[in-house]
Amino acid sequence: MNKLKLNYTSLSFLPILVCIPLGYQLINNIHFGGFKLFQEFLISAFNPKIDNEIIITVIKRLNETILIGFFSWLVSIIFGAIFGIISSNIFYKIFNIPNFFYLTIRFFLTIIRSIHEVVWGIILMQIYGINFSIGIIAICIPYIAVNSKVFAEQLETIDYKSFESINQINAPKFSSLLTLIWNPIINTFKNFGLYRLECSIRSTVILGLFGIGGIGTSIFLSFQTLNFRELWTYLWSLAILIILSGLIFKKIKFNTKNKILSIFFIAVFFITILFSFSYFLYFIFNNNFENFNSVSSLFKSRSDLGLFDFLKLILETIILSLLSTGIAISLPPLVIGIFNNNSSKIFIKIFAFLLRLIPTPVILLTLLTFNNPSLSLAALTLGLHNAGITSKLLFTNLDSQDKRNYMAMKSLGISKKTSWLLGLFSQQAKSYLAYCAYRSDIIIRETAIVGVIGSVGLGWQLQESLSSFAWQEVTIVLIAYSSIAIVGELINGKIKNSLT
Amino acid sequence: MNNTVLELENISYKYKNDLILNKINLKINSGEKIALLGKSGSGKTTLISVLNGTIKPTQGEVKLFNESFEELDRKQKSKITTIWQDLRLIEDLSAEQNVNFGLLAENNFYFAFKNLLNISSFKKAHKYMKLCRLHNSIYDKKIRKLSGGQKQRVAIARSLIQESNILLADEPFNNLDPKLITTIKNLLLENVDKNKTKKSPKTALVALHRLDLLNDFDKVIGIRDGKIFFNIKRNNLKKIHLEKIY
Ligand SMILES: Nc1ncnc2c1ncn2[C@@H]1O[C@H](COP(=O)(O)OP(=O)(O)O)[C@@H](O)[C@H]1O
Ligand SMILES: [Mg+2]
Repeated sequence: MNKLKLNYTSLSFLPILVCIPLGYQLINNIHFGGFKLFQEFLISAFNPKIDNEIIITVIKRLNETILIGFFSWLVSIIFGAIFGIISSNIFYKIFNIPNFFYLTIRFFLTIIRSIHEVVWGIILMQIYGINFSIGIIAICIPYIAVNSKVFAEQLETIDYKSFESINQINAPKFSSLLTLIWNPIINTFKNFGLYRLECSIRSTVILGLFGIGGIGTSIFLSFQTLNFRELWTYLWSLAILIILSGLIFKKIKFNTKNKILSIFFIAVFFITILFSFSYFLYFIFNNNFENFNSVSSLFKSRSDLGLFDFLKLILETIILSLLSTGIAISLPPLVIGIFNNNSSKIFIKIFAFLLRLIPTPVILLTLLTFNNPSLSLAALTLGLHNAGITSKLLFTNLDSQDKRNYMAMKSLGISKKTSWLLGLFSQQAKSYLAYCAYRSDIIIRETAIVGVIGSVGLGWQLQESLSSFAWQEVTIVLIAYSSIAIVGELINGKIKNSLT
Repeated sequence: MNNTVLELENISYKYKNDLILNKINLKINSGEKIALLGKSGSGKTTLISVLNGTIKPTQGEVKLFNESFEELDRKQKSKITTIWQDLRLIEDLSAEQNVNFGLLAENNFYFAFKNLLNISSFKKAHKYMKLCRLHNSIYDKKIRKLSGGQKQRVAIARSLIQESNILLADEPFNNLDPKLITTIKNLLLENVDKNKTKKSPKTALVALHRLDLLNDFDKVIGIRDGKIFFNIKRNNLKKIHLEKIY
């Protein structure tokens, strides 16, 4: 028998082994009580409720979602760019600032983005109560930090020689900075910034499930009342919104030569900055701190969390991340490889779209109709949702790939599946794994969402501690959370570097 | 008027374990036109980078107007202009934006901003691009879309627009055809504004390979393995000098 060789291709499939323990636990937890509900859920997809009343609700809710999504996108992209600049090498070189500040601000941003927007949302809601602007703030905090990382990475690609030549001209430092960063910033905005709008709409929906408002809240309420037909009306309208926003941005071409447009963008830029600052100050000084009576409560509260429980929660969170990542990596190539024909492809694409569309908490609640809550179920949910995302990337890359190898192999009489594996996928495997490494950073953060609902890991503990105002516990859980995320980010950074 | 403009005192530059410049002493007087000869890898580019302050020498001192380079302020340092061998243009910006880039030192932040937004005045930039025989159809083209010779002339125009009296040029005639070379050579060695020439003549150090162009220079410096082999009047240049460095 051939020995299994470890290469990028086999590494893409190996993680599917997580399905063995996962499947074992899932089978042990099956119950048939909710099977009818599940059936109803599926059927309702083809029969959503459509009448005047619900259409008015949909429009109202979508408006809220668009508003929160748009403003949090706008603010987070602008401040992301600003923080990206002040956390990039070039800034420190031009202004001759000691490296210490560079490391400090990078560390600070890493901690901020290690905590998921849902966690920020839950904490802020607990302090300030439910409030429209909480949604925007909760999304903006981690998004600014995530965006700043991408902007900073792009700024690192600036040629050192251009820096030297502008330095030699001895221009004022701000002029040098602006001239050097101009194109990387604009290109990052075009290539990455626009895509972030879709992300912030999704995040708005997820926060909606936790009560912030918008279509997410409607989705959650209709699920709670088991109103599946209504639920699907909301889901499909969300799908239309996401597809439309994607299409609109694909069509928009930014002409940097258009002066009026440029001035308009600059105006938006400064108005957003001014407005955010003044709003932020207003928010800080005018809010009655509903529950967060005094800082001293942070020290008074006693932690009931034993060390052992705490370690168990951390372990659960890590296992949850690993299992989900395993599914997200291996499921797409496995399914696409096995069902390698045109009609199956369309079916897989639709299914992947649904997995991306339906917010993870709803997927989890659906699965809960026939399975008891468990770590495996939470992992399956998170894994499936992210497999929807990784498979989109895989499809896009496979479709645009040169197919000659594949055709040649097939014509040699090699089976279709083997040709696909060796002729097509093997060339993608490396970049696919690199993307998955990046994706697993996000998965670690997202464990918070399924944790809250699926009662596993630190996410669940956070919810518990918050609702009993045990601020000390909250702090400990947050520290644990960001430590896991930061360690994960470090490991993934190493993996990514070795893959690119 | 034999006043020294630029001076190198016992300059050495080490990169890792290689001694790239080896104990260089050099005085450049106001108005001198100097040709820098030497084969590839002899250290011409490194010498120019030390002269304009981009590379800090491992040993020795660089002086501009008899003052240590380190102690000069921004305005004084900006009196040197450089044409780089690798051009160092910003590929994503247009040709005219790159030329205006040369004006950043004498203007404020607002000018840099307007330049990037394409709403600044390009009058001066166009004047110098025209002098370099650049056709007006390429003024607003991005650098990455230009040919080698066009890029070369954009870099030259960017340097000329600084209207600086001290020019360091690293193989500026690369990619240019013979007719253009004569035009560009005259632009580089003389002040475009003839009135200025009377007040303070242009000082130039030009690294080049073409021996037929030497007639326009006062002095010739030969460099090999990071060492100056000769530094003589052009009239005194003999065949044996060239045999030493090539
Ligand atoms: N950035 C660098 N890293 C390493 N070696 C360099 C670097 N720049 C120049 N050198 C070395 O320094 C020597 C001189 O190079 P250079 O000044 O570019 O010569 P020239 O311009 O005369 O061709 C060469 O041996 C080259 O290999
Ligand atoms: Mg050179």
